[in-house]
Amino acid sequence: MDDKQLFAEAVLPHVDDALALARWLTGNLTDAEDVVQEACIRAFRAISSTRDANSRAWLLAIVRNTAFTWIAKNRPKVMVMTDDEGTFERAGLEMVEPQASPETMLIEKADSEHLHKAIAALPIAYREVLVLREIEGLSYQEIARALSIPIGTAMSRLARARSLLIQRIGMAGTGKAGAA
Amino acid sequence: MIKPTSWSSREESLLLLNAYIDDELDAASVLDVERRLESDAALKAEHDRLRQLRSALASQVADERASDDLRRRIAEIADPPGAVVVPLRSWFEARDGWRRLAMAAALAAFVAGTGTYSFLRQDPVSNDVAAIVSDHRRALLAATPYDIASSDRHTVKPWFDSKLALSPQVVDLAAWGFPLAGGRVEILDGKAVPVLVYQRRAHVISVVAVPHTGEHTAAPSRPETRDGYSVIRWRGRDFDYFAVSDVAESELSDFVARWRDAAIDH
Repeated sequence: MDDKQLFAEAVLPHVDDALALARWLTGNLTDAEDVVQEACIRAFRAISSTRDANSRAWLLAIVRNTAFTWIAKNRPKVMVMTDDEGTFERAGLEMVEPQASPETMLIEKADSEHLHKAIAALPIAYREVLVLREIEGLSYQEIARALSIPIGTAMSRLARARSLLIQRIGMAGTGKAGAA
Repeated sequence: MIKPTSWSSREESLLLLNAYIDDELDAASVLDVERRLESDAALKAEHDRLRQLRSALASQVADERASDDLRRRIAEIADPPGAVVVPLRSWFEARDGWRRLAMAAALAAFVAGTGTYSFLRQDPVSNDVAAIVSDHRRALLAATPYDIASSDRHTVKPWFDSKLALSPQVVDLAAWGFPLAGGRVEILDGKAVPVLVYQRRAHVISVVAVPHTGEHTAAPSRPETRDGYSVIRWRGRDFDYFAVSDVAESELSDFVARWRDAAIDH
């Protein structure tokens, strides 16, 4: 199989998913398209040396790294928060107090715009783990590998990301229910 | 409020709960979490919220579609327009030959390592898999990937009965984020067979039901990949089932596990 065929099998089927990840990371479509194109160029260069069984996870890891290079260059402020890993990871990994009953929790009814805003507002280290798991469907191991972090770190970031989302959506939900 | 367990183990519970929702736990830990859920109302409430969040994400976050322009630009990375086709020269052939040899060696090592021969054996099932994937792709190109559109299994099952005089199990997985979209009929090896169509966000999952023929295992196979689509097969009561989709392999495995669980109850 030549490089062109490898590229057609390992990269082309996953362009939509690559774009979704890039869009969640950069925050807009134009930048996401640039990131995906650059990532695919990198992928093509590496294509003959890779034997990754899961080409999708492999490509998404390249997209993620390309996006981070892009963000570091264009939005350096976004990156600041990955400092001080230890305290950051442990911060507030606690349960949302179950003061709101399932009936008033409107998570399930959250509209798409609201949900998008809540995801976009997550710090990037949480957002990328959430997107890789919930939207791209990667396993814990694939996420840990794509981000070069221990699996335990991936797990705690994911748990934290979900707690934050639930808090934000749930609060807006109870607010709406209260006003009604 | 009273916290039934200490703070640090509360944190651990949350991580376990997330892993439980993500199907990342081994069987023993699953039982452990399920026991805890029964006795711990706060944990149960958190579990329900996580499930709600998941189904909101599955239904509300639309998939991205790359524009034709981006698709073209990416295809051109491997195939630049106006590139001159260089006639094969001997050194070029030799190099290609080496690469092929290296791949054969890698493949042999992989087969020896995993003890998996299934994809080398010339069994009819592999041919079926190729046919099933191409049918799935064809269906995606059609206006709709189904002949009857219904999210109600009580509509889809009788439709198969009337069309084919046979009907597979039809299960409802909407609660797990895989709503039923409908059904279609496919010609496989000259025979008409039922195909169930499920949705996952904007992705389509086809479940092809082939009346029992050859011998293969009851447990789901490991996902195989063809042209970017994953295929998992398993044996049901009267049919061999093949699930095919372009969702992530782990999602397809999750789907198959849910499907089989639900099928047992019917």
